[in-house]
This record gives sequence, C-alpha cells and structure tokens, in this order.
Amino acid sequence: MDPKAAALIAAGFCMGVGAIGPGIAIGNLVGKALEGIARQPEAGGQIQTAMFIGIAFAEAISLYALVVAFLLIFVA
Amino acid sequence: MEVLEHFHQKVIIPLKIGSFDISITNLTVSMFLGVGIFIILLLVLAARPKVIPGKRQVVIEILINFIKKGIVYNMIGPKEGDKWFPLVAGVFVFILANNMIGLIPGTYTPTANPIVPLVIALIIFFTVHITNLAKNGIKGYLRTYAPSIVPSWMYVIVVPIEAIGAIAKPFSLFIRLMANMLAGHTILYVILGLIIYFKSYFVAIAAVPFALAMTILELFVGAIQAYVFAILVALYIGEAVHPKH
Repeated sequence: MDPKAAALIAAGFCMGVGAIGPGIAIGNLVGKALEGIARQPEAGGQIQTAMFIGIAFAEAISLYALVVAFLLIFVA
Repeated sequence: MEVLEHFHQKVIIPLKIGSFDISITNLTVSMFLGVGIFIILLLVLAARPKVIPGKRQVVIEILINFIKKGIVYNMIGPKEGDKWFPLVAGVFVFILANNMIGLIPGTYTPTANPIVPLVIALIIFFTVHITNLAKNGIKGYLRTYAPSIVPSWMYVIVVPIEAIGAIAKPFSLFIRLMANMLAGHTILYVILGLIIYFKSYFVAIAAVPFALAMTILELFVGAIQAYVFAILVALYIGEAVHPKH
C-alpha cells in the first residue's frame, strides 16, 4: 500500500479510537459530580472545581492522540 | 497546508543582533498586546487602594483571593504559600492573557506555538527540582523516587516509573496547553473553511452558528487551561516543599 495512504488511514483510526477513553472518562466524571451536588448542594462549589480539574486531565489524553494524528498526516 | 499556518510566523520588522534573529513577528505583537492590555487593566483597577474597597478594587481582590486561597493555600499551605504566590499568579495571568488574545480576529495565539508553553514548562521543571534539592538535600531528593511506603524489593519497578514521571509531568503540562489552544483554532479554521471549499453560501447557514459556539467554548477552554496549569504548578511545588515521605 502507498505509505502516504497508510499514514492517512492510521491518522483517522488514531483520533477515532483515541477519543473513546476520554469520552467515557468525562461522562463518568460529570455524572458523579452531578450526583455529589445533588446529595449536598452546599458543597457545589468545591465539587464543581474538582470536576473541572478532572475534565482537563481527561481532555489532555485525547489531545495526545490528536498530536499523534497530526504527526502522521504532516510528517509521514 | 494552511491548517498548520499557526506554526509559521510572519516577520513584521526584521532585527538581528550578531547572528541572533530577534525580529518582531506577529507572535511578539500579539504577546505584548495581550499582556499589555492585562497590565493596564490591572493597574487601572488597583489604583488608589482603600481599606474599604470601592467597586473597582473588589475585582482585583476577587482575583487575588481566587489565586491565593483557591490555588496556593489549597496546595502548598498557608505559611509557605506566601512565598510561592507571585510565581503561581504570574503563570496564571500570563497564560490567561495569551490565551484570550487569540480570540480577536486577525491576531495570533502565542500559547498555540509550541515554543511558549515549552519554555514555561521548562521553567517550572527546573524550579521544582532545584527547590526539592535545596529544601530536602540529596537524600530527601532521592526519597522522591523511592517512597518509604514501598517495600525494598519493589524499588526495581517503582524507581523507573517515578523517573519517567518526573519527565512526563512537565511534558504533559506543555502538551496540554499547546494542544488545547491549537485544536480550538484548527476546528474553527476547518469549519469556516468548508464555506470556501464548497464555494457556496448555503453552507454558511450551518457553519457560522457552529463557529460561534466554538468561539464561546474557546473562551471557556482558555480560562480552564490557565487555571489547570496554575493548579498543577502549585501541586508540584507543594510536593517538593512538603514531601510526604
């Protein structure tokens, strides 16, 4: 197979598969945060803050996959 | 490809000192514009402070309380926190200003170019390790890689993992910031570029509201990334200053 074509297919797979994990993680996180706020609305501010930090960490993983996809498209 | 146009800077005023190229590019202009606007704003809001704050002073007090009590005291503790507050506040405001300036059409986002977050991450890396060495001595520094909770036969596994972690933590700081900023601009570019690619105006009916939603998300993501960077800096410094082993 033409190496450029293989690199493009791999880039598509990379980003597609690499978005599954963070999607599940962020969904779980926000769900648990909503449960926590519903149980004790006074702790809402702290729970929201911790949720945002967790989302930023999970998002970073999907961006590693994006960087690999960019490398495959433009440098290979 | 024009998608990665952000990696190529346009030189506006070429300057050279010896063989160092310090020309004024659009990155320089955007960075000075963003930080300059923020500095002027902060100076105007904090002028003539009084004990009972007026409306303008309250904004500064909210910002400083947010960074001091929300980030620094949470992660480092009240006594040591006062020494590290300038660094964390500087990192937070610098990254916030540089993220926000990219939202104005026609400017450049300095934090989307790999150099700017890389340098900030390197500064944090050296700060954390040198602080660890200076405060805890050589034995204390090596204790970070071999915590006492771990039984000694597991050192073969734990020490390489901790060593890789020491490199991976600043690297992930750098990649997180750069990739978040770059991804936002790339999505905007692609969505609005569809109008030009299909050469018809009907695509604009769907594309422009989506681009508007993405721009508002960009605002949000820029602020969150600055906050996460600052809180991770405070966390790493807190680990270096108060090691738990």
